[in-house]
Amino acid sequence: MLFNSFGFLLFFAAIVFVYYLTSHRYRWLVLLAASFYYYSTFNVQYVFILLASTVIIYLVGVAIGAAQEHVKKKAFLIGGVLLSLLPLVVFKYLDFVTESLSFALGHEEPMISPLNLALPVGLSFYTFSCVSYLVDVYRGNLVPEYHFGRLALYVSFFPKLLAGPIERATAFLPELRQTVRFNPVAVTQGLQLILWGLFKKVVIADRLGVYVDAAYKNPEFAAPVALLIATYFFAFQIYCDFSGYTDIAIGSACILGINLMGNFRRPYLSTSVPEFWGKDRWHISLSGWFRDYLYIPMGGSHSSKSKVYRNQMAVFLVSGLWHGANWTFVIWGALNGLYQIVTLLTVNVRNKLHKIFPMPTPVGSILGCLLTFHLILISWIFFRAASVTDALTVLARLVESIPQFPSLLVVYPYTGDLILCGVLIAFLLVAEFSDEKRSLWARLESGPIYVRWSVYYVLLLSLIVMGKWNLKQFVYMQF
Amino acid sequence: MALPNEGAETALVDFRSPAHSALVSTRSYLRRTLVFMLIGLLLYGLVYWSAEQLSYRYAKRNRFHAVMTAPHAQYDHVILGASHAAAFDYEDMNAQLEGMTNKKILNLSNVGAGIIVNRVMLEYFLTAHRTKTVIYVIDSFAFYAREWNENRFQDVRLFARAPFDSSLVPILLRNSVGLPVVLDYVTGFSKINNPDRFKPDISEDEALKFNKTYRPVSQIDTQRIGFLYPKQTDPQALAHYLSEFESLVLDLKKRDIRLIVIKPPIPARVYAMLRNEEQFDKALKIIVERFQIDFHDLSLVANEEKYFFNTDHLNRNGVLNFFEVSLKEILAQ
Repeated sequence: MLFNSFGFLLFFAAIVFVYYLTSHRYRWLVLLAASFYYYSTFNVQYVFILLASTVIIYLVGVAIGAAQEHVKKKAFLIGGVLLSLLPLVVFKYLDFVTESLSFALGHEEPMISPLNLALPVGLSFYTFSCVSYLVDVYRGNLVPEYHFGRLALYVSFFPKLLAGPIERATAFLPELRQTVRFNPVAVTQGLQLILWGLFKKVVIADRLGVYVDAAYKNPEFAAPVALLIATYFFAFQIYCDFSGYTDIAIGSACILGINLMGNFRRPYLSTSVPEFWGKDRWHISLSGWFRDYLYIPMGGSHSSKSKVYRNQMAVFLVSGLWHGANWTFVIWGALNGLYQIVTLLTVNVRNKLHKIFPMPTPVGSILGCLLTFHLILISWIFFRAASVTDALTVLARLVESIPQFPSLLVVYPYTGDLILCGVLIAFLLVAEFSDEKRSLWARLESGPIYVRWSVYYVLLLSLIVMGKWNLKQFVYMQF
Repeated sequence: MALPNEGAETALVDFRSPAHSALVSTRSYLRRTLVFMLIGLLLYGLVYWSAEQLSYRYAKRNRFHAVMTAPHAQYDHVILGASHAAAFDYEDMNAQLEGMTNKKILNLSNVGAGIIVNRVMLEYFLTAHRTKTVIYVIDSFAFYAREWNENRFQDVRLFARAPFDSSLVPILLRNSVGLPVVLDYVTGFSKINNPDRFKPDISEDEALKFNKTYRPVSQIDTQRIGFLYPKQTDPQALAHYLSEFESLVLDLKKRDIRLIVIKPPIPARVYAMLRNEEQFDKALKIIVERFQIDFHDLSLVANEEKYFFNTDHLNRNGVLNFFEVSLKEILAQ
C-alpha cells in the first residue's frame, strides 16, 4: 500500500478517525496495529523480521540498562548491534560480498550460489533506528524502554517505516507518552505537507521518471540529448520522490500529533558540497545518523587532517553501501567523499582566489550553487545507472557530445510533456528559492484565505488532472 | 517546502499548546472544512464536465462512446472480440463491410478483451439498442487468464474516453469488475486524468502499421505468444471462462439474437505456436454443438504472410481480402 495510492488515503483516514476516538491509553495499540497491518500489505513474512528486530533491541536494551559493569554493557551493545544488523547483512549484502570476493579471486561464477533474497522493504531504515536506540541506551542518553508496545511503535511507526526519516528514540519515544488532542492547526499543517508531498511525487517525480527510465534503460542506444535531459531530470526526480515521501510521512504523523524530524531543506540551493551534506540540506536524518554513530566515534573532525579525510571518505563509502549492494553506490559514495575532501583541501586556495578576484555575494552564491549542483549531478549518474558500465557509458556519451550539444539541443523534438516537465522544475525551483527566504506556508498563513485556498485547489486539481497515478514505487523504498 | 517553525529537529507545531486550541475551535474548523470541500466538489464538477466534453470531441474508437453515440437503434450485426476483430474497424473497414453486405454493423471489440469484457459491452449495447446477430470473433488466449477478463477493466484507457451513462453502472457491478473500477467510471477520474485527452483516439497499430506488411521474426513471435498466454494454461480457468461464454449464448438465445462464432485468420507459423489450441477447440466444439451455434474456424483461411501487419493481425489488404473471401458470405446468410 503505497503513499501515492487511494488505498493508503482511505486507510489513513480510517486510522485517524479511530485514533482520535480512542483514549490516549490505548492509542499506541491503534498505531501499532495499523503499522503492522500496513507493513503486512507488502509481504506478511517481512513482519516477522520486523518483530524479531524489535524483540532483539527490547531485550538487549533492558540488558544494557540492567548491567552494572561497563564491559558487560559494551558486550551487550556489540551483540545487540550485530544481531540487529544480521538481517541487513543476509538480505542485502551477502550475495554482493560473495560475488565480489569470487570475482576478485578470479572465479567466473560466485563460489557460493547466490541466495537471491528479496530485500524486505524499509529494512535499512528500521535497522538504523534499532542500532541508534541501542547506542543511545548504552551511552546513557536514553533510559531503556520497558513498554514493548511503545518500542515496537518506535521501530515500526507506519509513516516512517519504509523510507524514514530515521528517527531517534530520544525524540520519538517521549512523543508517544504525550497526550494528544485533536488540533486543527496541526491537522492543517499535516494536510498541507501531504498535499505538497503528493504533488512532488505524483505530478513531478513520476513524470520526470518516464524520461529517466527510457534513457537509462539502454544508455548506449539513447540519443545524447535524451541522456542529458534524463540526467538533469533524475536530479529533480529523486529529490521530488524522496522529499515527497518524507513530506507525506511527516504530514501523516503531524495529523496524528507526532513530530517527525525534517529530512530536506532545499538541497539544490547549497553553495558547496559540504553544505549539501553537512548543513541539514539532503537526507538530514541519515547524515545525522552517520555523524553521531560513525563519524564522531571514529574521531570526527577533531583529529589530524589525514584522519579527518579518512573519516570523511569512510562515512561516504558506508553511506554508499547503505543505499545498495552495488559498486555504483560505492562509487557514488566515493565521489561525494572526494568532493568533501577536495573542498577541505582547497580552502586556502579558494580564499586566496576570492581575495584576488572579489565578486559580489549573490554572484558567488549562484556560481557555488551551480557548481555544487553539477558535482552532485555527476554523482547521481552512478546512483541511477544499473551498472558501473552503464554509468561510464552515460558519462562518456555526454562528454563526447559536448561540442554537438548546441546544435543537437536546437533540433531535438521537444514534446508538450517534455516542456511541461521543464515548467514544473522551474516552478519547483522558484518555490524553493522563495521558501529559502521565508517559509511559503508561513506566507500563505499570513495571507488572505482566498489566496491560501486557491493554492490548495490548484495543487489538488494538478494532482487530479496531471498526476501520474500508476503507483510507481518510491525510489528510496528499494533501499 | 518548510513549515513556519521549521528546523531539522524542532517541532512542527506544539500540539499540546492550549493557545493553539483556543485560536481555532474544532467546530469552526469543521465548518470551514465543509465549505472547502463543497467548493472543491464544485471545481471537480467543472473539470469533470470539461473532460466529458473532450471525450465527446476526441473519442473515435472507444466502444462505450460508440454505443452511446450509435446512430441507429437497430443493427444487423454487432461484432465482439479482441484485437483481431478490432482490425475490422480500422480506418474505413467497417464502412467497407457495411457496403459489401448492405447491413448495419457496429464493431464493439476491444484490444485484449476476453469474454467478460465482451459480455459487458454487449449488455451495455442492448440497454438501448437491438441487433439481429452477434458475430463473436473468438481467440483462445482470452479464455485462460483474469488479465484479459476481470482485470482487463483495470486498464484506465478503457474508460479514459467513455462518456458517463448511468445505465452502465449496474452492468459493471453485475459483472464483478471490482468496486474501484466502478468508482473510477462514476467519478470520471480516468477521463479527467487522461494524459492523451487532446490526442486522436486511434491506436498506434491503426495509425502507423495497418497499411504495412510484417516480416516475421521468430523471437517476436515467441514474445507475442508469451504475452498472450500464461506459461501453463489452466484447464480450470478455461472451464470457467467457457461457462461464462455459455451464459452469453443462453442470454442471446433468450433475447432471440443469432450468434455466429468465428476463429479469425492467423499465420500458419503462429497458429502452430498457440498453446493448447486443440484442447480449446475440443471444449468449444462441445458448446457449439450443444447450442447449435454457427461456427466457422477460419484460422487458416486467407492467412498468407502478406496479409498481416504484425505477428497475428490482419493488415488493410488482409482485412479486405478476408471480408471478400469469407466474412461477406457469412454475414449475408
